[in-house]
Amino acid sequence: MKKYAIGLLAVALAATACGRDSGGGAEEAQAVDTAKASGTVTVWAMGTEGEKLDAFAQKFEQANPGITVNVTALGWDVAHDKITAAIAGNATPDVSMIGNTWMGEMVKTGAIEATPAALVDQNAFFPGAWGTGVIEGAAYGIPWYVETRAFYYRTDLAKDAKAPATWDEVTGFVKTLKDNGAELGVEQNFRTGSWQEVAPLLYQAGGDFQADGKWTLDTPEMTQALEHWGSFFKDELAVTNQPTGAFPQTFVSGRVGAFYSGPWMITSMEQEGGDGFKDKFTVAPYPKGPAGGTSLVGGSNMVVFKDKPNRDAAWKFLTWLTDPKVQAEWYTTASALPSVEAAWQEPALTADERVQVFGEQLKDAKSAPPVPTWEQVARVMEVELEKYALGKQDAATTAKRMQEQADQIGTGA
Amino acid sequence: MKRRVSTYVLLTAGLLVVIFPFAWTMLASFKPESEIRQNPPALLPADWTTSNYSGLFERMNMGTAFLNSAIIAIALVVANLLLCSMVGYAFAKLRFRFRNTLFGLVMVQMMVPAIVVMVPQFVLIAKMGLVNTFLGIVLPFVVAPLGIFMMRQFISDIPDELIQAARVDGAKEFRIFFSIVLPLCRPALATLGLITFMTSWNNFLWPAVVAQSEDMYTLPVALAIFSNAQATQYGLLIAGAVVVVAPILLLFLFLQRYFVQGIASTGLK
Amino acid sequence: MATTLERPALKQAAKPRLRKPRNSWVAWIFVLPFLVVFVVFWAGPLLAGLGMSFTDMRSTDVRDPLAVDVVGLENYLRLFNDELMRKAAFNTLIFVVTALPLTIALGLAAAVALNSGIARLPAAFFRLGYYTPYITSIIGIAVAWRFLLDPDAGPINQVLGWVGIDGPAWLSDENTALPVIIVMTAWRSFGFDMVVLLAALQGIPKELYEAADIDGAGRWQRFRSVTVPMLRPALLFCTVYSSIGFAQFMEEPLVMTKGGPAGATTSASLAIYNQFGAGAYGYAGAAATVLFTVIVALALLQFRIGRRS
Repeated sequence: MKKYAIGLLAVALAATACGRDSGGGAEEAQAVDTAKASGTVTVWAMGTEGEKLDAFAQKFEQANPGITVNVTALGWDVAHDKITAAIAGNATPDVSMIGNTWMGEMVKTGAIEATPAALVDQNAFFPGAWGTGVIEGAAYGIPWYVETRAFYYRTDLAKDAKAPATWDEVTGFVKTLKDNGAELGVEQNFRTGSWQEVAPLLYQAGGDFQADGKWTLDTPEMTQALEHWGSFFKDELAVTNQPTGAFPQTFVSGRVGAFYSGPWMITSMEQEGGDGFKDKFTVAPYPKGPAGGTSLVGGSNMVVFKDKPNRDAAWKFLTWLTDPKVQAEWYTTASALPSVEAAWQEPALTADERVQVFGEQLKDAKSAPPVPTWEQVARVMEVELEKYALGKQDAATTAKRMQEQADQIGTGA
Repeated sequence: MKRRVSTYVLLTAGLLVVIFPFAWTMLASFKPESEIRQNPPALLPADWTTSNYSGLFERMNMGTAFLNSAIIAIALVVANLLLCSMVGYAFAKLRFRFRNTLFGLVMVQMMVPAIVVMVPQFVLIAKMGLVNTFLGIVLPFVVAPLGIFMMRQFISDIPDELIQAARVDGAKEFRIFFSIVLPLCRPALATLGLITFMTSWNNFLWPAVVAQSEDMYTLPVALAIFSNAQATQYGLLIAGAVVVVAPILLLFLFLQRYFVQGIASTGLK
Repeated sequence: MATTLERPALKQAAKPRLRKPRNSWVAWIFVLPFLVVFVVFWAGPLLAGLGMSFTDMRSTDVRDPLAVDVVGLENYLRLFNDELMRKAAFNTLIFVVTALPLTIALGLAAAVALNSGIARLPAAFFRLGYYTPYITSIIGIAVAWRFLLDPDAGPINQVLGWVGIDGPAWLSDENTALPVIIVMTAWRSFGFDMVVLLAALQGIPKELYEAADIDGAGRWQRFRSVTVPMLRPALLFCTVYSSIGFAQFMEEPLVMTKGGPAGATTSASLAIYNQFGAGAYGYAGAAATVLFTVIVALALLQFRIGRRS
């Protein structure tokens, strides 16, 4: 036992003697033989997905005698720490769900298998979704389900006003909502997760978070996106004095007239709003900015860890999860949107017009950059965005400060 | 007499203020989800329901989680009561080289931010093959610095004469410890036991990282599944919080008579 | 035991000293459990944490922790230029110097009141009630506090409204968020101090009070000249233990405000936790090392003061 303590001690001390390797090329995927796959596949999945996947996977087990799927559900709060620790201790499961903004970080550890091209057809997925798993030229895991953001509003408060199609129209539209009783205007999150509000606007202004391996957070496009986002706070069309957790009840009560969010809000709104509320709101695609209407794609991927004896069975399970029919069925089970385009033709998804809006939006959606330091940069951005939303600094300063700090953090390459 | 009445009035007023959030939580656990999230919120449930509790038991294996929490907490209580008082005794009443240095290490351990050591500790546990075992969850905490500190403080107050008399009688150090010191420590042990139980019962991060299958989950770890960035299910969480706190409340109720006894009645005086 | 009577019986007035047990290895057997656990589970990880603070280690290096670059003091220098980190340090300081006395005062008040001849059953009842916040998990209770503090409908602002005060949006106002967290923490923690102090109070010999009564001491005098000195070890314990805990406070802001608004409730520990969560191990290690050093210094200082007075 003592040996290990000494080993760790050595880690601390010997760190002085070692340095980074200059990174190798893109990783080669190992071929997979799913035909004879068997054994037990252990899977980690978070939250609702984790709760529901175990029962859902029974169909796979029935179709593939000899393969058992064991799902462990974990809470989102601990997932990142738990997966990192498991990688450090070489105690990972065979397969894990990974939030797609974590992909860059997790792949960089070297613990995740590259995706065998012969097994998975990348053209079956939304390009934005597939992009979340492509790191330094190689693809890892598969996009399991996706989310994207769109514009929700109260139809009863909009009265005859049409959904805004451009940035310019949003301002007038929110004013109308406010005149009709939505005293708090549009909900714009400026706290944890606020980068997700700004990311689509940045894309719509024609900008991006990085180019050629460098952060590009201080650009005219970023300033333009920030100005647009900030104008709602300035004009008191979005407020900053509501406590965390007041939304979404404020939308149900009609004090907030609109917000930008993901598809999960449809069910969540219907539950919270009670009977008849579903007729009081609808979803529209993102209003277009100067460079188009690109939204942000989120969601989770499924990855296979390296050096697992049952990797064939693990990959077989992943390919099953991306079957269009299975994807559509998973949508009805867990309200998670299919990452596979063909699944959107299934009746389960064509039934609700509002869900279809997300389907359309997904065709024009881009992921956050899959770099290992993304989470760290996102935290920095959130701090600066909050100061900006509270009127403590202007858009140019915000962009400049985000850039400075991001440069210091680097891209982890 | 008047003084006593005013004390009661003060204590009661204080109690109302102190337990209000707790009372609200109890009441909220009987509200449907929509009412909990309702803004403005209300005190009393408009529509009483036990669906949060039944939901809790339907959606997760509460029995297993409860049992796991209990096994881990009891193991830690037993280990800490014995080991902390042993170590505390050495620091209080025995003389040896490096005593102060060692006690410094106890304090150091108490001050380590848990998050810093978590990943290296997990690597150790993994190397020992203890991932997903009770032993792995328990081992780093079997002799907690707080317990050593407490026991040292309490044992320091035991008159040296008692121990000296036993030494003159020729009693071996272990016999002195077990037959003289330990019985005198009962009130301190009760306090330590309760604190250890509670800390273990509410501990989240470490068991969440070490337990890798749901049949090893403790209550807080299992409940965390319902906490979701997008749609936290408050009803389940609140009902869960009530279920989690109930055993500790009972334990405290049961153990508090040891506090009442006090040190004076243990034969010290 | 062999070495009896090495001290002349004349020195009776002096505090009786313990004779050494014959073999000091017996003492080592007694401390062995701590030693083993410390060496195996804490010493290594602690040094690893210290070591990585001088490197550019990230979460992506966990498989191969040696393959990182040494950056010397860069992480530490960055720390002092990091606005949020400075704010976190400042918040932590404010938090400790206000929450600590508040918590101990509340705990002492409750303990003294409970020890002042209250009948057994109600005393047990009150004890349990006052201890409840300490044993309740924060997740469940956070919702209740949000309800209390709701700017429009919360009971606190409604009561303020009766006397014509327009209560603030407590948790989203930069000026009130930290005070709210402080009060909430004191509320949650004082039960522990109460239990410790109560145990100590009951250990005070009745004779001391009787002697004070004979000297004609009033209530307050009795409290100052008998209770407080007798409670000193327990008070020292509460102070040291609470300040160690408070210097690392994190749960309350994490659950209530996520450190906002604009970092107003971000504590040092929360900032470190966030950096670890984001994978910046080297940087987080540096911040943790600084915090750890400050806590150790603080504890040493308290022991000094506690011993002297």
